[in-house]
Amino acid sequence: MPGMHGELIFSLSLSIVFTVNSVYTRARAPTMNELKNSLLTLKQQGRHVVGCFPLYPPLELLHSFGLTPVVLWGLRTEVKDLSRSDRHLQNYTCQVARCLMEFILENNRSVFDALFMYNACDTLRNLPEIIEAGLAEDGISLSVFKLHVPAVPHDRTGAQGYLRDRILSLIAELEKFTHRSFSPQEFAASVDLYSRQRGLCREVEALCAQGRITFASCAGHLELAHFMRVEEHITLLEREILKAQKMSIDVLPHKKVMVSGIQAPPVELIEAMEASGLRIVANDIATLARSYGYCPKPLADPCEYYHDFYFNHYPCTTILPAGDRRVELIRERVNESEAQGFIFFGEKFCEYEYFEIPFLKDMLRSFRVEVVALELGADDLSNLMPLKTRIEAFAEMLYAKNVP
Amino acid sequence: MYPKELLMTQETTAGPPKKTLSGKRLSGIIMDDYIKLHQRASEGAFVVWIAIVVPAELFAGFENVVYAVPESHAAMSAGKGVGALQCEKAEQEGYSSDLCSYARIDLGTAFNKGKDSPSFGLPKPHLLVSNNNNCSLLSKWFDVYHRLWGVPHFILDIPFCYEDQKPQDFTYIRNQFGDLIRTIEGLSGQRFDIDKAREAVRFSFNALKEWKRFIGLAANRPSPITAFDSFVQMAPILTSRGTARLAEHYRLLADETEEQMARGIFPVPDERYRLLWDNIAPWHQLRKMSSRLAGLGANITTASYTYCIGSLEGDFDLYDDKGDDPFAYLARLQNFSVCPQGMALRTRAMKQAIDHNAIDALVFASNRSCKVYSLMQMDQMKHLRAHTGIPAVMIDVDHADERKYSEEAAFVRLEALLETIEAGRLSNLV
Repeated sequence: MPGMHGELIFSLSLSIVFTVNSVYTRARAPTMNELKNSLLTLKQQGRHVVGCFPLYPPLELLHSFGLTPVVLWGLRTEVKDLSRSDRHLQNYTCQVARCLMEFILENNRSVFDALFMYNACDTLRNLPEIIEAGLAEDGISLSVFKLHVPAVPHDRTGAQGYLRDRILSLIAELEKFTHRSFSPQEFAASVDLYSRQRGLCREVEALCAQGRITFASCAGHLELAHFMRVEEHITLLEREILKAQKMSIDVLPHKKVMVSGIQAPPVELIEAMEASGLRIVANDIATLARSYGYCPKPLADPCEYYHDFYFNHYPCTTILPAGDRRVELIRERVNESEAQGFIFFGEKFCEYEYFEIPFLKDMLRSFRVEVVALELGADDLSNLMPLKTRIEAFAEMLYAKNVP
Repeated sequence: MYPKELLMTQETTAGPPKKTLSGKRLSGIIMDDYIKLHQRASEGAFVVWIAIVVPAELFAGFENVVYAVPESHAAMSAGKGVGALQCEKAEQEGYSSDLCSYARIDLGTAFNKGKDSPSFGLPKPHLLVSNNNNCSLLSKWFDVYHRLWGVPHFILDIPFCYEDQKPQDFTYIRNQFGDLIRTIEGLSGQRFDIDKAREAVRFSFNALKEWKRFIGLAANRPSPITAFDSFVQMAPILTSRGTARLAEHYRLLADETEEQMARGIFPVPDERYRLLWDNIAPWHQLRKMSSRLAGLGANITTASYTYCIGSLEGDFDLYDDKGDDPFAYLARLQNFSVCPQGMALRTRAMKQAIDHNAIDALVFASNRSCKVYSLMQMDQMKHLRAHTGIPAVMIDVDHADERKYSEEAAFVRLEALLETIEAGRLSNLV
């Protein structure tokens, strides 16, 4: 496995030779059924698991009611067979939604006590009723909490009041579901935990940019945020940070790149990047930076807190009014990180991502940043070699151009 | 502007189809709408590009604001046979071929400055207004122009309906209309006159009443119309909304159709199978598909795409607002089109349509370019089969990119559907 551990030599056609040594920690590739097993363990511990989608649900609020929210995103390593999903979703549905559907239908009440969704894209907003119909075929039902997050700038008339009303309504539903009253103290405690977690995630990312930890390792640990109890994830991150801080900084020649996508690329592709002499110094990945990049002020009023959370959220293609900020932020992050290359990992059929890529490509090229756009669909995961080859070619191109 | 063979071609005698009076009038209206749009834009009117369900009646409240509907222009382009050509232009600029074909046609047209467009494209906008309930990717599509041209983009946030519109959603939507008006006032320097908007809403309501009368004629057996007629005739709802002319056109259309029926003129005189179409019209196939089906004695009499116009979510009948508040009427109707509705609502309206028009079978057009319309059809189809006993089939289409459509594959399934209806009838006789 190139770029992981031990002495390994990878040669590019330009005769640049990289020695990838033991400063790297082991890449953390999730394994089949890992998530399922971890959720089953939570259930055995008596926890009430709420499967959430898409990426930015009100985790703190759910947590404050004693629930264990998990974000059902990036399930491609967990789901290998889409046969249940295929009975409900056409094959031009993105892999994220197909895997999500499959995972819920397969595991249903054995791991979930309820589901939560908010509006993001056209595909996902249709899912709640499709999931309900799929579960009903097996005689199963699950509560699905829904939230409409205003997709407008914060100063739109009534937007703040509307969100407040929606949050209060959600709180009322959660009170009924859990037979508990909302507690401002519990909420504040949950906010603290998630704030701590997001801060640690940013620390891990910074260590990665310094070359103390590989992105392959970093991404795996960070993405666990979605599937673990927040308390356990904090412990894990603290341990990893301590370990990484003791690592020497990688001084091998490298080219700096930034990566973007709706989820982190498969670990094999990250390793291919790193083995090709590319260091990921910044990311615009929805499961990573876009999830932990902004941390709201610790407000005890959930309405005020989520006003800050949603209206100032780290820009994402799924947050409609954030488009302009996203362009600016990518520009800033490329500049700050001195990225020489930019890699888009497009999710096939994700129209939200694809509408923005051509403009961003042109913008980045105008800054003399080299760009490559790769695409991943449900069928590509069984053979990543063509994508690895493109990554290697991109690295070769960066070296050949001798971009400083 | 539409190919003449698509316009209410109800004569079934041999020879080239003859255009009806309503067909001729429709051509005139559409041509006039696009000419006026370009003319007024060139004379300094404030130009707004809108998503199809943005309430265009509001613009009538301004002295000199004109609007264009890129989706409607894209449909027309596809109907005229240049859809794939314009899509390719967008793809050459880096836009994925998996994106909605309306968007690709529109982007291709805009990048190429209107070349190959039946209307020479659309005049450049001063403001883009999208909404996210009918199709939230439209906001991403309009963002492309916002970035490239530096044109402001106003997004109307309309909550998706899993159930009937909630009062708080209604209030939220209504408030946003005020913001939109203030935005236009600020950008154009023009003052809004609510009485003019009120008058436009009244015209729209009258037009929708006549529209419902027209499509309601499909309840007759044989039906004097096909859903393809309704696809073509819906065009001015998008380009002439809020005008007296639109109401008059639909009144004459319904009158003329009744007259044709009285004279025994029917698009499928030997109608044996009455079908319902679910999804956007296959613009590049209207003539081909309708005539081939007619040859099989099948008539797609009804379409969710067109019976939804003028109705509330989950309903088949006309929404009749007794109040005098134009904003309230428009806010309440914001979920009329199928896409902003959840499966329960879509199914409820479809059951009404099935009953009203005595439908024999359902055709679910799984449309690669419209996920929001298509993703839930598989379960909706299962539900309706189980609860109505009506056979159904799913065919693959793309509403505007004919490269993604196989006529033979579609007709294999459609013919099998007709056989299923026939088999059901035979078994009922036994």
